[in-house]
Amino acid sequence: MNNSSASLILAAHLAVLSSLSFGGFPTVLPDVHDFTVARGWVTDQEFANFFAVSQIMPGPNMILMMSFIGLKVGGIAGAAASALATFGPPCAMYYLSYRLWDRFREMPWQRIVRRGLAPLTIGLVIAGGYVMARSAAVGWQSAAITAAAVVMMFARRLNPLWILTAGGALGGLGFL
Amino acid sequence: MPMRGENGGSGERVTLSALFLGFLKVSLCGFGGGLVWARRVVVEQKRWMNEQEFAETLTLCQLMPGPNIVGITVCVGAKLRGAIGATIAVAGFILLPWSVGLSLGGFLLQHAEIGGVRNILGGLSAAAAGLLIGTGLRLLVPYRSRYTALLFAGLAFAGMAFTRLPLPIVLLALAPISIAVARIEDARAR
Repeated sequence: MNNSSASLILAAHLAVLSSLSFGGFPTVLPDVHDFTVARGWVTDQEFANFFAVSQIMPGPNMILMMSFIGLKVGGIAGAAASALATFGPPCAMYYLSYRLWDRFREMPWQRIVRRGLAPLTIGLVIAGGYVMARSAAVGWQSAAITAAAVVMMFARRLNPLWILTAGGALGGLGFL
Repeated sequence: MPMRGENGGSGERVTLSALFLGFLKVSLCGFGGGLVWARRVVVEQKRWMNEQEFAETLTLCQLMPGPNIVGITVCVGAKLRGAIGATIAVAGFILLPWSVGLSLGGFLLQHAEIGGVRNILGGLSAAAAGLLIGTGLRLLVPYRSRYTALLFAGLAFAGMAFTRLPLPIVLLALAPISIAVARIEDARAR
């Protein structure tokens, strides 16, 4: 197979998806899966592995995951093309919309819109944590770790890294 | 209303290297959800935005396609130093962590099926979930005396956590009502 043309097709597809990924990139993951597996570029198992490994890496998870697919399809150049396609188009849109938003900052209607929207966003963040907790929960032990992390994060300004380390250590010691 | 320019940096300009390093930190620390670290660095440590401004920026980013956390990076960079600032902030967020992640992850993937690591991952993800919830609760603090805000935060939470509806649907259903209520409150306050 011609690697560079496969990389280009993948990058073009990712660029379209990233421009449509309202609600974050995970919402378009099923599409990426079908697109790449159907073409025989990656197997189901590889796709799952890419996801797991990208989740345990620090940094931009979804960009990294798309890069793993690009790496498989077209080497380092494929990985770079996939990364660019994943964050490039949204970055341009973020910038333009921030400029517009900022220009009308002093308008009374915008203050009202902000006041109306902010609580929704916050509710969605908490829901994201809840959904993650639910998928991580294997019993009361993991629920207890989550609850402890909530309290430590909310009540004390403890460095989140300590909380994560404690969670990982408890898991590694067989607490779960 | 607490908005522009009142957060510390009104006098001196934030340097580009500070932006680069700040978002490098957000990126490197932010496993299991970069939002926790974005808020910690941008609001608590650097005071580039206040709590409310951060929540509003996050809203804007959630309404747009793409990785929300990259959106916050762009917005903070653009606010402090314009287009250059946005580019540098994104470079800080992506460049180094991406290179490290790609080589380290590529190595891991060649030796896939990592036995006891699964338990550690379980504990990590449970803690990461708690951090996200805690971050959300902290963002809610400035709104604690506005009962309608708490109500709409609760509705958004329930809509997303319990109904399995896609996020755009939840936002489109709740946003008009929430904005209308904010408008009525605003008119009353005058």
